Amino acid sequence: MKKYLLTMIIIFGLTAAVSADTIKATVNGMVCGFCATGIEKTFRAQPEVKTVDVDLENKLVTIHTKQGQTLDDAKIKKLLGNAGYSVVALVRGK
Amino acid sequence: MVMQENDETGHTISLDYTFIPTNAFGLYVKQEENGKDILMVTPEFNTLLKRWNLPDGQGNIFNMSGAGLAHYRDNNQPCLWTAFLADYESRRWFFSYEPRFVWDGNIEKSVWQRARIGIAPYLANYNDLNTWIMFQVDHHPAKHDHFVATPLIRFFYKTYLFEVGYSSNQHIMVNWQIQF
Repeated sequence: MKKYLLTMIIIFGLTAAVSADTIKATVNGMVCGFCATGIEKTFRAQPEVKTVDVDLENKLVTIHTKQGQTLDDAKIKKLLGNAGYSVVALVRGK
Repeated sequence: MVMQENDETGHTISLDYTFIPTNAFGLYVKQEENGKDILMVTPEFNTLLKRWNLPDGQGNIFNMSGAGLAHYRDNNQPCLWTAFLADYESRRWFFSYEPRFVWDGNIEKSVWQRARIGIAPYLANYNDLNTWIMFQVDHHPAKHDHFVATPLIRFFYKTYLFEVGYSSNQHIMVNWQIQF
């Protein structure tokens, strides 16, 4: 039983370590598609980022990171701030 | 970003590089028309003075300034110009106001102001073609047509923006911008 639990813990641990993040950022001020191209450009330049999607209707920026990589909240807020927007909420998922 | 404007005031091209998020530096060249045909060539410095990020809109105040050379006939003069641009935009509405001050040595000194209102006939998302119907009013105290009205249509898709209009003093407006 102990061996089984240990194996499961290791498997879950490894899965968590190599999986990618999906980060959904709700932002204020994002109303213009022409201006929001800066968001795509900024996040595509980050080595941790696989894809970035901008949704004006829901004021949402969705960032998918590469396997085993992540972006911390402070960096996301800074990058979105530099692109000209204010972060209202950040939600993370796998 | 590269931007060209061809309207009833003349032809302008500017090339800007944003070196920090709130500031850009570039080159500004304007060939004026509908008055003295002055050519201005200046470095340009653009600053975001204030931004308001709201749930359904964004407001900005920018300053754009340049100092360089103005050429008219055989006369070269130092020149200075500065403009303030205030805008508010939602996904449906657009408003802007821009006063501009130009000093071309002993060639000309001028003040003009521009206001725009726009409405999006449909709410486009990020990857869609965006369309805006706009109305622009220019006020040129120093020129024949003190007030010039220009209805125009703006399109943009991703990093490409294009505007076309026709002014009340019968000039075709064609503006475009590309972001890099």
